[in-house]
Amino acid sequence: MAGVVAPSSATTIPHATCLGCGCACDDIEVAVSDGRIAGARRACALGASWFGDGHVPGVARVDGSDRPVDDALAAAAHALAGARRPLIYLAPGLSCEAQRAAVALADRLHAAIDSVSSATVLPSILAAQERGRAGATLGELRNRADVVVYWAVDPGVSYPRFRERYADLAGPPPQAAAGTRTVLAVDVGGAHGPPDAGHRFTVAPGDEVAVLTATAALLTGAPGSEAVAAGAAAAPAGGQACGAGTAPTSVWRQAEALVAVMRAGAYVAVVADSEPSDDRDPGRASALVSLSQALNAATRGALVSLRAGGNRSGADSVLTSQTGYPLAVDFTHGSPRYRPHDGEARARLLSGAVDRALVVGDAALVPAAVAAALAAVPVVTIGPRASEAPLGSRDGIVVDAGQAGVHEAGTALRMDDVPLPLRALVPGPPGVASLLRAILARVEAASHGTAVAAGGGVAR
Amino acid sequence: MAQLRISGGTVHDPINGIDGEVRDICIDGGRIVADLPAGAPRLDATGMVVMPGGVDMHSHVAGSSVNLARRLLPEEREPVPAPALVDGRLARSGSGGTLPSTFTTGYRYAGLGYTTVFDAAVAPLTARLAHAELDDTPIVDAGLFVLMGNDDYLLRLIHRGERTQAQDYVAWLLGAAGGYAPKIVNPGGIERWKRGARDRTGLDTPVASPRVTPRAILETIVGAGQALNLPHAAHIHCNDLGAAGNVATTLDSFKAVAGRRAHFTHLQFHAYAAAADGTRRSAAREIAEYVNGHPEVSGDVGQVMFGAATTLTADSPVEYLLYKSSGRKWVNVDVELETGCGIVPLHYKEQAAVSALQWVVGLELFLLSSDPWRMVLSTDHPNGGSFLAYPELIRLLMDRTYRDDRLKAVNQKLLEGSALADGLGREYTLNEIAIVTRAGPARLLGLAGKGHLGVGADADVTVYQRDADVSRMFATPRYVVKGGVVVVEEGQLRRAPSGHRLHVKPASDPALERDLSAYFERYSTVSFANYPIGALADAQQPGRGR
Repeated sequence: MAGVVAPSSATTIPHATCLGCGCACDDIEVAVSDGRIAGARRACALGASWFGDGHVPGVARVDGSDRPVDDALAAAAHALAGARRPLIYLAPGLSCEAQRAAVALADRLHAAIDSVSSATVLPSILAAQERGRAGATLGELRNRADVVVYWAVDPGVSYPRFRERYADLAGPPPQAAAGTRTVLAVDVGGAHGPPDAGHRFTVAPGDEVAVLTATAALLTGAPGSEAVAAGAAAAPAGGQACGAGTAPTSVWRQAEALVAVMRAGAYVAVVADSEPSDDRDPGRASALVSLSQALNAATRGALVSLRAGGNRSGADSVLTSQTGYPLAVDFTHGSPRYRPHDGEARARLLSGAVDRALVVGDAALVPAAVAAALAAVPVVTIGPRASEAPLGSRDGIVVDAGQAGVHEAGTALRMDDVPLPLRALVPGPPGVASLLRAILARVEAASHGTAVAAGGGVAR
Repeated sequence: MAQLRISGGTVHDPINGIDGEVRDICIDGGRIVADLPAGAPRLDATGMVVMPGGVDMHSHVAGSSVNLARRLLPEEREPVPAPALVDGRLARSGSGGTLPSTFTTGYRYAGLGYTTVFDAAVAPLTARLAHAELDDTPIVDAGLFVLMGNDDYLLRLIHRGERTQAQDYVAWLLGAAGGYAPKIVNPGGIERWKRGARDRTGLDTPVASPRVTPRAILETIVGAGQALNLPHAAHIHCNDLGAAGNVATTLDSFKAVAGRRAHFTHLQFHAYAAAADGTRRSAAREIAEYVNGHPEVSGDVGQVMFGAATTLTADSPVEYLLYKSSGRKWVNVDVELETGCGIVPLHYKEQAAVSALQWVVGLELFLLSSDPWRMVLSTDHPNGGSFLAYPELIRLLMDRTYRDDRLKAVNQKLLEGSALADGLGREYTLNEIAIVTRAGPARLLGLAGKGHLGVGADADVTVYQRDADVSRMFATPRYVVKGGVVVVEEGQLRRAPSGHRLHVKPASDPALERDLSAYFERYSTVSFANYPIGALADAQQPGRGR
């Protein structure tokens, strides 16, 4: 279906992709009128706010003074090239193309580069590197899963259309062996599954990892609660990991009850939020991976990890393809080193190992702890509405950019790494990708002693 | 683009019947020309060996499964500094290991004298990512094969007996994904694994319905590739990979498409007999004999090389078995409506009986095949080993003494009845190496401008310094020219132009899209309009095969 041209310069752009959360719904019909977004049909509240009205400021500022964009880019290139220990930080809200340009710049500058993933989903990423994972794209959940387990998450809160689009079709899942779908909510402390789930289990927060581990053990054939109750010495390792105050047999009984539901499924999807919460056991991510793998001993199954918006998995993917590592990459020695434990952005900033930072993307979504750590260094901030929330010490450089998927076309990944196109919907400032390429061109030109014409490389 | 005369080298150009003749190769505007003015720039190749640039027809270098494998293995990566380029392009650092990062992959292929590479398995749903990675893989011309042997929509068409629509769909899918050839992996077997089946998938095992069998899937896709006159009709990874006794399935698969052009990939993994105790034995002889006698069939070997590897395939049920038997880490991703993905790291050891057998079976396929044009070189990178092991493999093929020494060092437990153990004496000539590493793959892929040095061919040329140790000779070409640009000079990577994308866009009946969009509406999580990748930034349609 082509874009419909309505009277009075109003247009509808179908199939726009929303980056308001990791669902990346690509069925949004955006109404455009007089260069502004007049509506986003099918978008949830998060999505409507993400699209906004399409207006973003177009300010460029150096040390607090408004300057032409070209001057600010020249100042940014000069400052970054002159830095001894630069850091590039990938905030949410970047196209994959902008992320690729940022990694190129980091490589050229021998900088460190990190993304929001270090401060949010590091345990999941490390667990997947340690053990692997059993996963699926969201369509397998939608079409095939006949048992869906919401593990301590109600997607309705932070992923409003997740169930509508990927989990809860009217009627049975079309590719499921059985003609029904069983929905199970596991409530862990205050983190509840959906209220309308047909089955419900409650797990004490201190027991979460033990129950996950015991469930995985049972699925792969370990003896259960009766063996534990009988005092059998052969209880698997998970049996010893029970939280304080809960008898091992109780953990095993909970696990057995979960296993009974899971074993009845031909394809079990376990949905869990990988975005951070306050009181999460550090072993949880690894236990979820083990559970997802163990499901495949007894039946088929996959872990579905929820991610927040702004193409966050894109940053992991792009960093991996260009460097081999998904985050916390250090180019200081001229080639990439992986430093997830001591070289992620916040640790690097707090240890004084950064003398200039470049933050690209939506600065307002930089995690508070990272933003606080950035306060001590001069920062170049490039992104949509950068001028409204400048980061770092006062002597910074700010360049407002267009928003990927609103003003800048490109590619973004859904939370399950499925790539989707981003469209430029309305006119706006240049996107981050072209601004970064312009900075890189200036850095290169400076090192080769050649000049770059005004506007060099900035294209929309 | 500059002119260049590569003078005085000994040329091996099998497509043009040139086997070791001293002659000049002239280049102008990125192509081979008949002659150049006397004053044209000259590259002295006196005493050196000149071949067309290498063509890798089956590798895994880009896309979401490759990238998941990169991410899975931080512990095996080593930092790789940026090359010292002189062409003004931004030189990129990266990391190595069995799955190098993108830029490093391009540099390393070129440094090995390879100028064309195909990624053998891309799910159309994630094709955008694969193309983005290929954009970051410099120098080599690249294309990708599109996974469709477990495609839900295609299986439905087969169920309904809609042959014409199936052909249209194959055409549409290739265009939508920017692909070069249809790829079939474990036809029907991945869908069965998703449905929970644990038994082996034979050629007549029903998949979604009694009418949908691996045989029907093979017939449909191979038939479509033929009818669409694709440059590479179909690229087939058979059912039953790795299993003892799978030679029967492989031979059945050959016969299922008998008389039609079809390429069977990494045949080493599909050439095992079963001994009475259930262990594997070599069945390379049966496979080689069939291929020798059927000119429409071709294969690549998928040689196993000792050392680190990463198994990475859409054949996810096989990876589950490897995970259970190896205890290593494991990735499985079920890709909606299309395919699967499985990853397990592996180490092939000389003293492990199965690794040794696999190494032997691969070499036997090379040495027993009478027509090198139809049994070409691959390690199924990184499944059987890295592409960086090609020079060592070439030495094994060319140097019997070296091969026999290595054979003595491997576990002999499963080698009973093996032709290699019985003393296969054949040694490949340089011309045969030129066939299995460039001329043969180019011809099988229908790439008219690749794999040879005749007038009008792409100016992709590799110049080797002769060396008694052929693995050293092939590991470090003295010069590599890509599209007329000297990318390797005196053994050093100096220039890194972007490669071209090789893809096809066969016509399909627009009426198909009505049914397809209704199908997407019901089953897909991606809008129909957002599924095709759109125009490729640098699109080159290949010329028709010679």
